[in-house]
Amino acid sequence: MTESALDARARLEPPRLIQGEHDDGTLNKTLNDFVWRAPPPGWFTLLLIGMAGTGVLFFAISVTLAYGIGMWGNNIPVGWAFGIINFVWWIGIGHAGTLISAILLLFQQKWRTSINRFAEAMTIFAVMQAGLFPVLHTGRPWFAYWMIPYPTVQSVWPQFKSPLMWDVFAVSTYFTTSLLFWYIGLIPDLASLRDATYSRRARRIYGIFALGWRGSARHWHHYKIAYLLLAGLATPLVLSVHTIVSWDFALSILPGWHTTIFPPYFVAGAVFSGFAMVLTLIIPARRYMGLKHVVTERHLDNMAKVMLCTGLIVAYGYVMEHFAAWYSGNLYEEHVFFSTRPRGPYAWAYFTQMFCNVVVPQIFWLRWARRNIWTLWVGAVLVNVGMWFERFNIIVTSLHQDFIPSNWAMYYPTWVDFSLLFGTICFFGTLFLLFLKYLPAVAVAEVKELNHELHGDRPYSGGPHA
Amino acid sequence: MPSLKSLPIAGQQKLWRSVDEHATPPAPARELGPSTPPDDATSRRNVLQLLGASAALATLGGCLKQPDEKILPYTKQPPEITPGNPLHYATASLIDGRATGLLVTANEGRPTKVEGNPEHPSSRGAVGHLEQAEVLRLYDPQRLKVVQNRAVARSWRDFLQAAVYQARGLRLRQGEGLRFLLEPNSSPLIGQLRQRLRDTFPRARFSTWSAVPLQHIHDGAQLAFGAAYETRLDLSQASVVLSLDSDLLAALPGTLPAMAAWAEKRDPSRGPMGRLYAVETNLTVTGMNADHRLRLKPTELQRFGLALLGRLGALVPALSPYAILTQRFALAPPAAKFADALARDLVKAGRGALVSVGPRQPPALHAAAHAINTALGSACAKLAQPVLHDMDAGPRTLRQLTEEMRSGAVDTLVITAWNPVYGAPADLNFSKALSLVPHSVYRTLHYDETADRAEWVIPSLHPLESWGDARAHDGTVTFQQPLISPLYGGATEAEVLAAFLGEGDRSAYVQLRELWQSRQPDGFAMRWEKWLGDGFIEGTATKAETPAVRHDQILAAAVQVPPSDPATPGLQVNVVPDYRIWDGRFGNVAWLQEFPDPVNKLTWGNAAQISPETARKLGVAQNDGVDLGLRGTPVHASVVIEPGHADDCVTVSMGYGRRGDGEALCRGLGFDVSALRSSEAPWFGPGLSVTRMGRKAPVAQTQEHHSMEGRLIAALTTLPKLKETSEELAEHRGPTLTAHRPHEYPGYKWGMAIDLSRCTGCSSCMVACVSENNIPVVGREQVIKSREMHWLRVDRYFVGDDLGNPGVVFQPLACVHCEFAPCEYVCPVNATVHSDEGLNEMVYNRCIGTRYCSNNCPYKVRRFNFFSYTSNYGDIEKMVFNPDVTVRARGVMEKCTYCVQRIERARIRTRLEERRIRDGELRTACQQACPAEAIVFGDLNDPSSKVRKLHREERSYDLLHELGTRPRTAYLARVMNPNPELAS
Repeated sequence: MTESALDARARLEPPRLIQGEHDDGTLNKTLNDFVWRAPPPGWFTLLLIGMAGTGVLFFAISVTLAYGIGMWGNNIPVGWAFGIINFVWWIGIGHAGTLISAILLLFQQKWRTSINRFAEAMTIFAVMQAGLFPVLHTGRPWFAYWMIPYPTVQSVWPQFKSPLMWDVFAVSTYFTTSLLFWYIGLIPDLASLRDATYSRRARRIYGIFALGWRGSARHWHHYKIAYLLLAGLATPLVLSVHTIVSWDFALSILPGWHTTIFPPYFVAGAVFSGFAMVLTLIIPARRYMGLKHVVTERHLDNMAKVMLCTGLIVAYGYVMEHFAAWYSGNLYEEHVFFSTRPRGPYAWAYFTQMFCNVVVPQIFWLRWARRNIWTLWVGAVLVNVGMWFERFNIIVTSLHQDFIPSNWAMYYPTWVDFSLLFGTICFFGTLFLLFLKYLPAVAVAEVKELNHELHGDRPYSGGPHA
Repeated sequence: MPSLKSLPIAGQQKLWRSVDEHATPPAPARELGPSTPPDDATSRRNVLQLLGASAALATLGGCLKQPDEKILPYTKQPPEITPGNPLHYATASLIDGRATGLLVTANEGRPTKVEGNPEHPSSRGAVGHLEQAEVLRLYDPQRLKVVQNRAVARSWRDFLQAAVYQARGLRLRQGEGLRFLLEPNSSPLIGQLRQRLRDTFPRARFSTWSAVPLQHIHDGAQLAFGAAYETRLDLSQASVVLSLDSDLLAALPGTLPAMAAWAEKRDPSRGPMGRLYAVETNLTVTGMNADHRLRLKPTELQRFGLALLGRLGALVPALSPYAILTQRFALAPPAAKFADALARDLVKAGRGALVSVGPRQPPALHAAAHAINTALGSACAKLAQPVLHDMDAGPRTLRQLTEEMRSGAVDTLVITAWNPVYGAPADLNFSKALSLVPHSVYRTLHYDETADRAEWVIPSLHPLESWGDARAHDGTVTFQQPLISPLYGGATEAEVLAAFLGEGDRSAYVQLRELWQSRQPDGFAMRWEKWLGDGFIEGTATKAETPAVRHDQILAAAVQVPPSDPATPGLQVNVVPDYRIWDGRFGNVAWLQEFPDPVNKLTWGNAAQISPETARKLGVAQNDGVDLGLRGTPVHASVVIEPGHADDCVTVSMGYGRRGDGEALCRGLGFDVSALRSSEAPWFGPGLSVTRMGRKAPVAQTQEHHSMEGRLIAALTTLPKLKETSEELAEHRGPTLTAHRPHEYPGYKWGMAIDLSRCTGCSSCMVACVSENNIPVVGREQVIKSREMHWLRVDRYFVGDDLGNPGVVFQPLACVHCEFAPCEYVCPVNATVHSDEGLNEMVYNRCIGTRYCSNNCPYKVRRFNFFSYTSNYGDIEKMVFNPDVTVRARGVMEKCTYCVQRIERARIRTRLEERRIRDGELRTACQQACPAEAIVFGDLNDPSSKVRKLHREERSYDLLHELGTRPRTAYLARVMNPNPELAS
């Protein structure tokens, strides 16, 4: 009787954030294990594929630089296409990192500790992919630095009214802050790696990046303050970056772009796609890297909930866009939302978007779906696809039929467009694989801290550092 | 005074003109492939060397016997050359023998822009697309460069020796076996040469050939009057015009004055509006402008015309014998209703009535039109002696010649007509016949299909390199003077003909001057200067005559026409000259290849044009590949569905499917229609089979969406509803609520007005813009990708629910220079900015090519250099560039500037004179070319300016006014004038 009552209660309790009995030593060992181990053949295979794809990316970039934007499928009226779609998609994916590291930190969500390193790395690599496109998509990328306000002898300044100008500030700030945040978080773990390695070279390299961390109380004091400050700094960025990206569209007069709902809807969409990407990556990673005890079903469950929530916001955004188009009675708006998108030649893209972003996340109302890693993984991948198509519909579908029917035209991507999309995915994957191999994929120090909080002090079972 | 020798010479062999002056023996013969690369000087160094050498030679002029050939600038220009200041010269271009007076701009000795000669009766300042493209044809690097004998390079002197030798033999035989195949021509010089050749070789024969033959016009006049007459249109008095397949509003040779006169009749504020009826098969520019249009199968057109004549017989006493025709040619109910209303309207119009028949229609229809016009006393159709030496140009004369050639009666054939091997109907097999002729001479601009089979191939001089004369459509004698020393060498037609008189060393200039000196010896030097300056001789127009109509003959011919077609399976084929490249002679001109057909917006090729209904019946869709079969081997074509096309027939245009080795640009584009033509039925006939090939063959169209989707884009109304429409339009002009701070325009405030009612959609403005603004050509693949670069496009929309017979409206659209321009605030680098005169300026140097401006432009008039479209231009090709306009680099956005270079030139000129720019003094390139004067540009701050008045017209409106962009280009609604009897 007592037994069963306890069982019943245990079922109601959320699963524990760290599974099994661990002390600092076992955590050190299990979490850093992948760094010390000889990489498995699967890692090499993936790395090879990733590097080959990166080669494709750099080839496509070279072709673009050598011959011009004409190698892409862009035309007049579709002045922006894959380049900007990919930019917005990658920037959106990058959102999960900052949200997890900064906002969840401030809200003291304990479960973030197991995944924040992972998500931050993903952010940085995603923003790196995103950052390629604004430069590449210009007709004369060698003059792209003219977007930076600097006193030139031409005495011409950038146009501060242009949202593209604001993008330059938003994205560069975001990248810098994310990188700093990630790096600061890494310092204790780098020191731990430095101290644990037997290789001179590794010790030297980790040593340089550990910045002489000794784990003294003073270090910890400064570290905590810096980390919190950066979290405070990064929090508005979560909202600002994608808001500004959405202004690239919302400030124009193009039907389908010119929408006041864009900033919140873009931010929600970004978090939505960011969490989807974290899930896409972490589900296989936790399995093959033996991280199931720190990245538990509860973590996955939480992330699925965030996805469901942001997915609903996005769906609301879609509904409001259509409502506003109908309610405004504006001929051009109505044409975009009720003719071009659902009934035009790109209707398949519209329905892909709606299915992936609106229908698919609804399954996460069900607990089993949030706990079943296959459902979760497939759902997350579909959300990533759906979010790409959302940007496709916003950008290409709105542009290809606008005000004056005589200039309407179809857009067809070329092999260079596909190579750039595929290549950035591979480049992203390559960077990620290298990250998993050479840096602790989980914030070990923070997990250890959490372990102490959860279980109190345990006897030390070995390992050089606590 | 500029002389030819002071003009820069690039890659030219010196002294090609005269035999005696050849100091050195002819260069050793060299095997030449037809596509042997030119020996043109390509490096800058070479060009400079040549420039230096030519300057040195010019100073040694006294030592050389080359005649001093003075060309004379247009009268209103200072005679001396100031570097940087262009000069204008009057000259002419000829298409099928008729001259259009031109004013060509030359910059430092190279012609760069063709404009209309404001004083010339065939131009009145306007110019068509074909004439304007001459300047690009001049610099075509694929032009034939050397004289060839059976693919071996020779000199002009070699040819002259051969010709003299040949002529000696021929003279002994009185010219037996000597045949000339010439282009239709009106030149007094050629006329004199023909006469002299006839005197020297009494048995020689002249034939005239053009792939767009005039034979039916000739036969029709013979039938109606018993003599050769041609109709000269004067639409200034017209009130009701019927076009029977006569494209009189397209900017084609001889129509420019008609277009100008008709435009006046379409402006409701200028007195009573004219009314246009069109009966035709395929939609033409004229058909698009018609208030009422009837589409008929090609063979039915003649019967319609005769049925109309019958109806008029009942209404007009002078035509009463024809009344029986109504019975004989019974029309289907819609056509009958159309004909009834039309007949009454024509009678009501009386002197203002005009029936115009196209050259493709049979002689009986031409004769019927003569009968109607004469009986109604039409003041619009004046009859005059033909200006051409030989109107009887067509398959009939070519067949006679081909038969002679095949029978071996022709020993020497001199061809100056354009490419008969390509253009002749398939059944004549002219190509085979030509290879049977032992001696043949062919003068051509390119190494084409005919050149492949001729013994001697003589490079032709381009009209802008030639001396010559010709008559305008009204007979006015017009002069051609060269703007540039020949780029590659060559000969004019007169020089080739003179070679057979043993006068090959007499240049065209000498011949021309001597001819006119002999005709007007008094004060010749003065007169000559004036003629060349003006470009023509005033008062030489031929007189209108009033020959008696032979009604009995016409009636006899009319009753010969069968009342219905014999039942034949299949569709009818309908061959038309191509609007862009005519019979194919302009095929190698990239501007014209990329110039969209005003009707179907097709570029870089032709297509099988069919009606939506026929497409449904055949089960074919747009861009489907089909085989068109008639008699011989079928040709592969792409389907283009054309609303307004007659059912059960297929229209194909000429000039494509070229195979000549010397014309790489147009080779292989489209398909050759000569297999679908026969000498009996060169234009249309039954029995066409259309088979689906089962694959797509995409065409390059610049516009793919043809409906306005219920938006106010190109406003269209009718005369009775004009008042209502004007009230509606009032909401579409004037200031709008805005958050922007309005700009101040203290000085000039440039603006434009485009009257859609005057515009005929001829699209001549597009070529003017391309030529003025160095707009690159992007090619077929890029057009398919929707990357054409035209700053100015002419949009064409179909209106109404009946796709079979839709209304049409068109709208020239370039940058409208918004006062609150959406492009300006989105550019991150300030590359597109607002000027204090209201121009939306593009700073190419600053542009990094984000294309945001284009995305945010609601008119989508900005163009992006997706590739480097001009970097592969050779030294010769670069000469076409206007030095006042930057050639844009890859990755840069560009668009209409309101011809800012012209504004600046006018500003410099008027600032020196310390005054403001006067209204009308400054004209944009599109405005200048427009034959209908539909485009007006000027200062909106000037209270008396025309553009300001038009902006305040009740018909004016702003495009997408509700967006608050405040465009500076205003449009004036198009007004139709339907017949109340026919208005449904």
